[in-house]
Amino acid sequence: MPELLKGTLTDRILLLISLLAIAVSWFVVQSVVASGPAVAEVYHGKVLLATYPLPLAGEPAKSFMIEGELGTSEILLDEHGVRMLSSPCSAQRCVYSGAHRHAGDIIACVPNRILITIRGSAESRFDAIVE
Amino acid sequence: MSDIVMRPSLSDLQQKAYWLALLLLAIGLHVFEAALPSLGPWFKPGLANLVTLLALIWLGPRAALLLAIGRVVVGSFFIGTLFTPTFVISMAGGLVAAVVMIAAWRSIPGISLIGVSLLGALAHMLAQFVTVESLFIQQSLLYFALPPLLLLSTITGWLNGALAGYIAARLEFPNEKN
Repeated sequence: MPELLKGTLTDRILLLISLLAIAVSWFVVQSVVASGPAVAEVYHGKVLLATYPLPLAGEPAKSFMIEGELGTSEILLDEHGVRMLSSPCSAQRCVYSGAHRHAGDIIACVPNRILITIRGSAESRFDAIVE
Repeated sequence: MSDIVMRPSLSDLQQKAYWLALLLLAIGLHVFEAALPSLGPWFKPGLANLVTLLALIWLGPRAALLLAIGRVVVGSFFIGTLFTPTFVISMAGGLVAAVVMIAAWRSIPGISLIGVSLLGALAHMLAQFVTVESLFIQQSLLYFALPPLLLLSTITGWLNGALAGYIAARLEFPNEKN
């Protein structure tokens, strides 16, 4: 079995190049998104709809509605992070993906064209910024 | 009237039968993968792509490309996503992966099925993200999620390539086209 997984020298060089490229891109992404307060940014297409701070442990949960291409999606922010409570899409993958809290995490509802990204990791001190 | 109907040769019919058998296997795996719990957005183990790789080494580039298209069209029909965004994303991923695997198999010296599968898996994930970003979400921040998913693709691509090598070494296939 280990012989089967070895690959040729060319395969191993390709693997090394791929892993290096992934590591560099991961480092770049983390350096961009990990700084500053922990917030969830909500986009509809290119438009930033709102920026919400992620609640800390013990803080009350907040939910809000956003309008997408197909209809209204409901988003919940609580101590576990941000998650899509309901969506008008048929696959519901965005809903099943659960709560996200780490910098760089995303929730994407492709049919409704809604994207939620998580940025930052420090404590935040504002209620919300609505565009 | 001088209509002469040429009968196809036996080897031609045999090739078509093998292609059809591989297509049915790929459709089955496509449907199976759709039923698996999601490991992340648009991430699947890539077992259906493994069949494209086998079609490439056994039946040639044209058969591999047609199999990738046929598998996504018929598979999407069965899981109810035909002509939805999921279908477009699957088609882009499957086609780009097939083209990259064909190019790698033909032009990179010393590459084995493992390396071909690795490049196919990475191309599949990248094509899906580019399609989602350019056609649907239209927000480049989407690419923030790409590095961990590319890492998973690297692992599954390597394992699927090893599995394809194991299958290819044990199954006799007539008229292999390299």
